[in-house]
Amino acid sequence: MSFFRRSVLSGCLSVVFLSSTAHAGDLMNWGKKIAEEGNGSPGSIACMECHRLNGGGMPSIGSPRIAGQTAFYIEHEILGVQKGTRYAPVMAGVVYNLSKNDIRAVALYYASVRTPKLPDVSPPDPALVALGKHIAQKGLWKKNVPACVLCHGPNGRGIPPHFPYIEGQNKGYLLRQLISFAFLKRKDDPQGLMRGIARHLTQRERKAVAEYFASLNPPATAGRGK
Amino acid sequence: MKIRSSLLVVASATLLFSGSQSFPPIARGQEPATFQPPSDSEIPSGPFGDLVRKGEHIFTQTGVYARPYVGNDLTCESCHLDRGRKPYAAPLWGAYVSYPRFRTKNNKVSRLGERIQGCFRFSMNGTPPPLDSETIRSLVAYSFWMSRGAPVGVKLAGQGMYRMPRPKRQPDPFRGKKVYAARCALCHGADGLGATSGHDVAFPPVWGPRSYNMGAGLAKVSKLAGFVKMNMPLSKGDTLTNQESWDVAAYVDSQPRPADPRKIR
Repeated sequence: MSFFRRSVLSGCLSVVFLSSTAHAGDLMNWGKKIAEEGNGSPGSIACMECHRLNGGGMPSIGSPRIAGQTAFYIEHEILGVQKGTRYAPVMAGVVYNLSKNDIRAVALYYASVRTPKLPDVSPPDPALVALGKHIAQKGLWKKNVPACVLCHGPNGRGIPPHFPYIEGQNKGYLLRQLISFAFLKRKDDPQGLMRGIARHLTQRERKAVAEYFASLNPPATAGRGK
Repeated sequence: MKIRSSLLVVASATLLFSGSQSFPPIARGQEPATFQPPSDSEIPSGPFGDLVRKGEHIFTQTGVYARPYVGNDLTCESCHLDRGRKPYAAPLWGAYVSYPRFRTKNNKVSRLGERIQGCFRFSMNGTPPPLDSETIRSLVAYSFWMSRGAPVGVKLAGQGMYRMPRPKRQPDPFRGKKVYAARCALCHGADGLGATSGHDVAFPPVWGPRSYNMGAGLAKVSKLAGFVKMNMPLSKGDTLTNQESWDVAAYVDSQPRPADPRKIR
């Protein structure tokens, strides 16, 4: 049975067959396998190359921490990269050959893993953190920017399933996403909410918000405490 | 009018000369001429400042700091956005200078404290705190501080809620349901019950047992439509058309919620 299943999987043939037979546990194992080695198709790249096996990400290259993000959100983002609605030049080359089932599996896996915060590239800048904290907790309503925590949850711990946690995310990733929303082609945000908000901020304010959330400790899982 | 147009000139000049920024910040739906409340750093130290800060805590975390008087999952800030500072979201600086006033709601001249009691009874579906309680006193102090420099008894831009022009078509909950699904359900849920983050209420319920009751201001379609028009979705105020705002308000207010306490028994 397991040989049979594996051969089906590595052939990457039958999404329908799999989803009707595989249990959540099998899907999870398959997700871990993709994270570790890719899905077996030629040239496939393992997620862990940039996100690590436990989903801590790589602050040095601004690769995001994804451990404990909701499966819904991870799946939505990978699909967005495939469709081109989410600007992600690196990810696009990695996920193009993942099937819908692969994506669901890997999302399930990374939603389930836990990992401590990894050291960021530089210590938090106190002046930026103070400004970022004000924007994050109180907003800049004169520019139509509500407090970040209104939609990302208390201290940015996430509001499942649509609003990811940003608490303890690395600063390189956070700043790059704000820039992508503001000027590049990240347009997978519901109703263009983030595009509007990121555009209303100045570059210093974007940086400050990134510094602030990066200075916090991440939640163990989106929408929950530490 | 003259003041406003010169302000606009200044504002557009600022935008022109803000240099490197290719996407100038645009504050839609907010007139530059609205009253500016003092900033947080200006809260004085001492007993008065303490009372103001206490008021702000009650305002933003009502269920924590005024627990005995709260009967649902809302906070003052759920409707009075930006900690009671945002124009057209019934800002406190507009409220403080408008009381005492005659209200048709109860055919009485009410003081601000009495008006706040009404918030607890209807919008918070709870129990009115006594007028001399610390809860009311600190909320009044918070409002007083925020209205520093505002003219008393004069109509101010952005005061109260936005008064909607009459709808072209009769507000229709069925059309409103579609607007709700497209623009509101993301945060408030298709079931209107809001969303939580861990144990905390994150997005307020807009109907159901933990929302405002039938006696609240927002239970009136015109009031809710004005609030939605200028403020919803967050950061996207003034993007729904007037008709959409009327329709979605009709839909939300057609949903079940706790009864008006004046009409029970």
